[in-house]
Amino acid sequence: MRKLIVAMTATLMAFGGLALQASPESDRAAFEKYFTDRFKDTPKDDFINGVYSIDAASREQWVEIEEFAPYELSIDAGKAEFEKPFANGKGYGDCFENGGAVRGMYPYWDADRKEVITMELAINECREANGEEPIKYSKGKMADISAYMSFLSRGQLIEVVVPDDPDALAAYERGKEFYYRKRGQLNFSCFDCHGGGSGNLVRADKLSPALGHTSHFPVYRSKWGGMGTLHRRFGGCNRQVRAASFKSQSQIYRELEYFLTYMSNGLAFNGPGARK
Amino acid sequence: MGLVPESEALQMIKMTLAGLFSTLILISGCATATNEASTDPAAGDEFAAAWDAADAKRQEAAAVGYEWRDTSKMLKKAKTEAEAGNTEAAMKLVAKAHEESADAIEQEARESTLWQSRVPQ
Ligand code: HEC
Repeated sequence: MRKLIVAMTATLMAFGGLALQASPESDRAAFEKYFTDRFKDTPKDDFINGVYSIDAASREQWVEIEEFAPYELSIDAGKAEFEKPFANGKGYGDCFENGGAVRGMYPYWDADRKEVITMELAINECREANGEEPIKYSKGKMADISAYMSFLSRGQLIEVVVPDDPDALAAYERGKEFYYRKRGQLNFSCFDCHGGGSGNLVRADKLSPALGHTSHFPVYRSKWGGMGTLHRRFGGCNRQVRAASFKSQSQIYRELEYFLTYMSNGLAFNGPGARK
Repeated sequence: MGLVPESEALQMIKMTLAGLFSTLILISGCATATNEASTDPAAGDEFAAAWDAADAKRQEAAAVGYEWRDTSKMLKKAKTEAEAGNTEAAMKLVAKAHEESADAIEQEARESTLWQSRVPQ
């Protein structure tokens, strides 16, 4: 991992002039335009609904599914977990303001720690600060707590900040580079499928556009038969091109989340979600 | 496959086939070599050395974030085959694992500049 970062930094330096010229904000504007031009019938705010924002046929089924949302149980379990005191008598409410409706604060750049903090990372750090064991990041209890907190935060705007700090900018750039690099035996980048391939049919399903991609996690996926976090999805998408995946909440996945969420600035958080 | 746009999928299949073909040529070369060596007590050493070299390549690819999904499974399977005395099958797997890690390392180098061409402007 460290070597990867060194290698990527070296690359960045080599192309420093080129790569760093574009600011996150000009990146975001071009990214958004790419998708609003490609899908002219989709109102911008609707991209948070993934493939259903571009596919009327599957949208109907999805609207029906949402009526008996399969993530309801997860929200309930997450609420119970959130409200259950830790052994020391404290609880998540002591770590998170606003009763846990804090989705809109994440991910953010922590200037002291020099790293990206995601909501799931903060959940585990809250546990550990209170003497509790950390929990697994991809599904189960973590997805439940995240689902509850996301539900409480519905409608909060995505407003990721990349501060004027070379370390923050480097983290953003690493996430960006990861997104556009082809990898795996099948030699695909994220953007090959969710940019250039978005809207194309894959067997019976369409590939969703990347704009709005991180708004609705965690998600209930019928293919998983349960809930999963955003990083679970990242891992699955890496493996489906036959690349080895990275650990949930690894530095590179947090930086990927930082970049990809920044690209959706101005849209609303609407998790948890339901997908095929 | 099926997760990719039609035309790209076709192109990929072609590339994969070409890759497989060259792997086959490589492997058949190795296979003949190991066949001859399999009655030789040195065959075990030969396997161990080839396995170590392939695993080192895998680690080299992982260190730059480019390990492929199935390489370590392949190497594990190679060990099982070798332990069961199937030296030929074991050597084939090692050769394939070695080659795909070399491909992954090349891919990483190629992508260190190419990725920029995909960023929407
Ligand atoms: C081979 C094509 C392919 C590649 C490459 C790929 N994905 Fe995916 N991805 C899919 C498919 C198929 C789905 C499920 C259908 C959909 O929503 O697009 C999906 C879904 C997703 C979703 C969930 C969308 C939603 O609305 O719930 C996210 C987020 C995502 N991918 C991110 C990524 C990232 C990040 C990468 C690069 C690490 C990546 N994908 C690479 C095919 C791909």
